[in-house]
Amino acid sequence: MKSSPLFFLGLFSALALSLTALVLATNAQYGSLAPFADATAGAAFPQAPLGLAARGHMVYRDLGCAACHTQQVRRADFGSDKERGWGDRQSVARDYVHEDRVLLGEIRIGPDLANFGARAAAHGLGAAQLLAFLHNGQGAMPAYPFLFVKQLVTDQRSPDAFAIPGLPDYELVPTHRAEALVAYLLSLKADHEYPETRQPATPAAPEKGTK
Amino acid sequence: MTSIPTNVAQPETSGIDTSARCPLLILIGSAIAWLVVGGGLALIASIQLHTPGFLAHCPFLTYGRMQAAQETAFLYGWAINAGLAVSLWLLVRLGGVPLRATGLAAVGAIFWNLALALGVAGILAGDLTGFAFFQLPAYVQPVMFVAYAAVAVAGVLAWTGRRNAFTFATQWYAVAPLFVFPWVFSVAQVTLLFAPVHGTLQAVVAAWFGQNLGALVLAPFALAAIYYLLPKISGRPIHHYDYSAHAFWALLVIGGWAGGRQLIGGPVPVWVATTGIIASVLLLFHYVIVGVNLAGACCPRGSLALRFSAIGLKAYVFGGVLNAVTAIRGVAMLTQFTFFSVAQAQLLLDGAFTFMIFGAIYFLVPRLVGKPWPSSALIRVHFAAVLAGLVLKVGGLFVAGWIQGGDLNHAAVNFPTIAGDVSLWLIAATAGQALTLLGSLALALNFTRLLVVRAGQPASEHFRTPAALEVPVS
Repeated sequence: MKSSPLFFLGLFSALALSLTALVLATNAQYGSLAPFADATAGAAFPQAPLGLAARGHMVYRDLGCAACHTQQVRRADFGSDKERGWGDRQSVARDYVHEDRVLLGEIRIGPDLANFGARAAAHGLGAAQLLAFLHNGQGAMPAYPFLFVKQLVTDQRSPDAFAIPGLPDYELVPTHRAEALVAYLLSLKADHEYPETRQPATPAAPEKGTK
Repeated sequence: MTSIPTNVAQPETSGIDTSARCPLLILIGSAIAWLVVGGGLALIASIQLHTPGFLAHCPFLTYGRMQAAQETAFLYGWAINAGLAVSLWLLVRLGGVPLRATGLAAVGAIFWNLALALGVAGILAGDLTGFAFFQLPAYVQPVMFVAYAAVAVAGVLAWTGRRNAFTFATQWYAVAPLFVFPWVFSVAQVTLLFAPVHGTLQAVVAAWFGQNLGALVLAPFALAAIYYLLPKISGRPIHHYDYSAHAFWALLVIGGWAGGRQLIGGPVPVWVATTGIIASVLLLFHYVIVGVNLAGACCPRGSLALRFSAIGLKAYVFGGVLNAVTAIRGVAMLTQFTFFSVAQAQLLLDGAFTFMIFGAIYFLVPRLVGKPWPSSALIRVHFAAVLAGLVLKVGGLFVAGWIQGGDLNHAAVNFPTIAGDVSLWLIAATAGQALTLLGSLALALNFTRLLVVRAGQPASEHFRTPAALEVPVS
């Protein structure tokens, strides 16, 4: 190879090709995907997370929860996602339109969380149980004691506080971050049916944007 | 220390090498320091995988942040610093003119590492982005872009100012990452952090960036080194050199597409995953040619540097084949979301890239400073430790991933059971991390001694033949 301009033209074209396809074309294909207005339910889905849950998403990111948990349910014949009760349908692009930072995750050291809120509701798991779980950890999941503050009980116990066995004068109060994280986890529901999820055996292909 | 041969051949160094001394020593010194730091962080993260309570009481040391910090220290600290140093040195050497813009390169290297240190501290404080291979906080990324470009300018000047119009494979591989990285890094910064694209497009862009960083930035750095070292040290030509241009362009054209294989079954357009699979398989063409070109490195004789390169080359070809095999949907169903894919990444980064770059560092640093390595025993310790470490950690994670994949596909097996099934293999991987760290410390010690200790005899004596600066195998 002798010609520098030709060499750099080659480099440029090679990069431009994958950039055009994977960044620009995908953006054109579904970059403006909007929530689905469901006439029968009288609302648009997915619904945007409320304040505390939205802040919990930031806690989820900054603690690196995505280093162990995915948030993507694969179709029924691809892995055991459905049998494990992680979701009745495959996750689709529309499920994520409200998230400002999409953390699909790459490894399942712990279970998938795409539908965690729906699952917790079905099993009667509430914020109190989740907070206890966060504090104690279980199996491969570490404890997060720094999300709680130990303090003296004053005249009245704080709401959501735990008693500490052997220390009757103290209580364990979840921090705002812990409350936000739990609110976020309980808000995770991706179970609404969209036009693209109703067609069986159509993997992930989202519709074009509804600009 | 090696004995000084008596036959006087061509002098092996010149002002061309020493012209690049200042920026290159900053890059290599920082690279080795980050390798040790990253190794320490990786060891902690590895222990936490089988002993979740380890250091869990502290938010800075929680697994999610540890993992992001160790990955960042390795990629941006060790790999980019060392890759840039090797690339610059090769371009200068083959260009036949002294390095220009040395001051700019040195300043760039310093700013790169200062910003990176701030970034890693930011990750530990919770400012990670959450995207794999792209965890650095938004507030250090623009500085790092400029700093990289400053170093790259010196390399590009060495390319454009070269004495021979004709270029060798090493030069193509050395100069490509100088362009590719600023491009993909800036695109990722804009589309993921400053004007983020919507929804799962972020996952597509992040996969595209990660793939480019691995295949079009780090791999070319390492290939540049081995394409130079093999003929230089062994004195044998490259087999079927004519095909090396095909291998280069195959990597450049196809390499950037293969990231989609990580998104198989995910909430992204199916064609993204499909093109990823096709690209991963097509890339076999590249790996086969590289394997044939450099097959001579498989039985290194007479040089420890080449021994490192040989391991790296085997890991590179094996890793490429594995990427193609695991991209097939049926196999991906077993390996996706498991330690198996972690092991694949480590095979290419800790194995292929790192070993090939180690080979280059052992070759170039003595020429840069005009002194031979003070201790060949430490090089041997380094080689044995990192090789055993690589086998243990990558092997351990492969087995753990295979078991985990089988377990995950049986809905009846719950997560505590899976954790129990893989824990032995994760402990093996931890032992591997510990050995790797030991090896890195041996390198750091040897490098520090080389800089600090005065050479016993006039340095020029060591440069009579190329072999004088090599450490013979036995």
